[in-house]
Amino acid sequence: MSTATLPATRVRNGIKVPKQARDYVRIGLWIALVIVMVIWAMPLLFVFLTSVKSESDIFTTSSFAIPGILDWENYTEALDTGNLVTAGTNSLFIAIVKVPLGLFIAAAAAFALSRIRFKFDTIILGAFALGSMVPIQVALGPLFKTILDLGLLNNPVGVILPYIGFGLPMQVFILHGFFTAVPKEIDESVRVDGGGNLRLFLQFILPLSKPALAALFILDFVATWNEYAIALVILQNKASQTVPLAIQGFQSQFTSSYGPLNAFTIMSILPVLIIYLLFQRYFVQGMFTGAVKG
Amino acid sequence: MTKLTETRFTAQASVPQGRPQRKKNLVQRIGKGGFIASLPFLAPALAAYVVFVIAPMISAVRLSLYQWSGYNTDPQVFVGFKNYIRLFTQDPVFWTSVQNTVVWVILSLIIPTTLGLVMALALNQPLVGRNLFRSVFYIPGVLAPIAVANMWRWMYNPNYGVFSEISKTLHIGDGSGVTFLSDPKVAIYAVFAAFVWQVAGLNMVLFLAGLQGVSKELVESARLDGANNWQVFRNVTLPALRPTVVIVMVLTIVHSIKVFDLIVGMTGGGPAQSSQVLALWSYTQSFLNHDFGLGNAVATVLLVVTLVLVVPYLIWSTKGADDQR
Repeated sequence: MSTATLPATRVRNGIKVPKQARDYVRIGLWIALVIVMVIWAMPLLFVFLTSVKSESDIFTTSSFAIPGILDWENYTEALDTGNLVTAGTNSLFIAIVKVPLGLFIAAAAAFALSRIRFKFDTIILGAFALGSMVPIQVALGPLFKTILDLGLLNNPVGVILPYIGFGLPMQVFILHGFFTAVPKEIDESVRVDGGGNLRLFLQFILPLSKPALAALFILDFVATWNEYAIALVILQNKASQTVPLAIQGFQSQFTSSYGPLNAFTIMSILPVLIIYLLFQRYFVQGMFTGAVKG
Repeated sequence: MTKLTETRFTAQASVPQGRPQRKKNLVQRIGKGGFIASLPFLAPALAAYVVFVIAPMISAVRLSLYQWSGYNTDPQVFVGFKNYIRLFTQDPVFWTSVQNTVVWVILSLIIPTTLGLVMALALNQPLVGRNLFRSVFYIPGVLAPIAVANMWRWMYNPNYGVFSEISKTLHIGDGSGVTFLSDPKVAIYAVFAAFVWQVAGLNMVLFLAGLQGVSKELVESARLDGANNWQVFRNVTLPALRPTVVIVMVLTIVHSIKVFDLIVGMTGGGPAQSSQVLALWSYTQSFLNHDFGLGNAVATVLLVVTLVLVVPYLIWSTKGADDQR
């Protein structure tokens, strides 16, 4: 995408050879972007460097110093003292249950709102849209009481249910946009064949919306993995903690163990980074499909 | 949920209108059975939405009129508007939170949005390493805010943090290192810097998507007419980006109103509650001070502020959805 559009003659060893005055502007722009990129990469870099330094190195050497030997002890220490394994398992379980289930429920609702004509569809769609805007913190207190009454405190189901509720608005809204863009001729031919709504939904609309669904799946997985506020009030004991709670717990318990602390941070963001790097292309693709359709 | 990453899709959901298909759909929208037929598809979503989103929000408004500790064993006593009176007249932290929330929203509307736009404009050019730039700018947006908070806390560490080191090397300040997070005057801005780092890339992606909709022919013909870069941007690109700008603004408002994790992770609202915001103050009152009445009064204020800011946009965008039929 990047290099292909640029004539090959203008690039030599990654450095552009100026041919016109406009190229000087380009080079200036490129240098500026490199500088901003370095600044943008710094925080992650510092955290990583700290995480592989021994304690004495952290205290005596510069933040910019690259340690002679990578010291992975911080990682083992963070794993031993922190709650990362339990929390990671919890987070993974919650995401694996919540994301497909929530997405399916959202897709079904978006299908009803975009393909079946009934009186209040616009109002319902508006109500969903509204929900995507209101901060969850508004509902935090009463939500705690609801989950308490259901006996689901410290239970993964206790966060999965509200996660589905709070995830719906955005997903319904986006999928509604995609489903509306699918040609209505399909509906007709399905009905002529004697198929009902269920067939139309499962065999046609869902498969046709794969790019959108895949992208939403990944985004929702990341959002679920990262969620903090709801988990904070519902999951109060150590055994039920999710990863963000474990990070915060570790940080308040071992305030000055900088090495393990940063190792902990790195390990906690690793899954999300891997997911981003793996699915980046597919997910950008899905995004632009959405932009072109409509 | 702080669904930062999810938001970019609204751009696609509502921007692209005005394709020829629209008119046909008016006639072709096939309905079989109406509401009853839609129920099996709609019911699970409606149930989850009503029980876990709508009902708690209504309940928050109701609870703001009661005095309650939050424990099921304690009674809920109706006190009318007493919580609000207490909030407005006897709670200085509430006003700090209001002020910080407003400042946060305004700064967010200016800094990360402009930065995102500039990044998008730059990366819309054919450049070597464009995908790498884009990834590096975007990646902070997929990280958990609580992890970002910890990363920045470390960088702000007064003894060993990178900012302290830079300030000592360059002999800025009194040589005692950077103490941004423990300074009541600057703590909120120090947290905001982390926020900019995290969300600028998200805005960039939204703008990049919007820029795909800018007609290349129009840009070419403007250039042929002798327009310079700025004139092209001002008269062709910017007007075409207007729907994207609206969406970025709305999402920015929505995100900045609910900022929570970053502040919990970096300052906890301190020092001396100087970096409190409404979302966190509501939580603090309900869950740490066990004053659900006051906590939910703050939540109600937050709800009202949000509605005032986003309802006009919603009316505008639902109209757009209606037009699509």
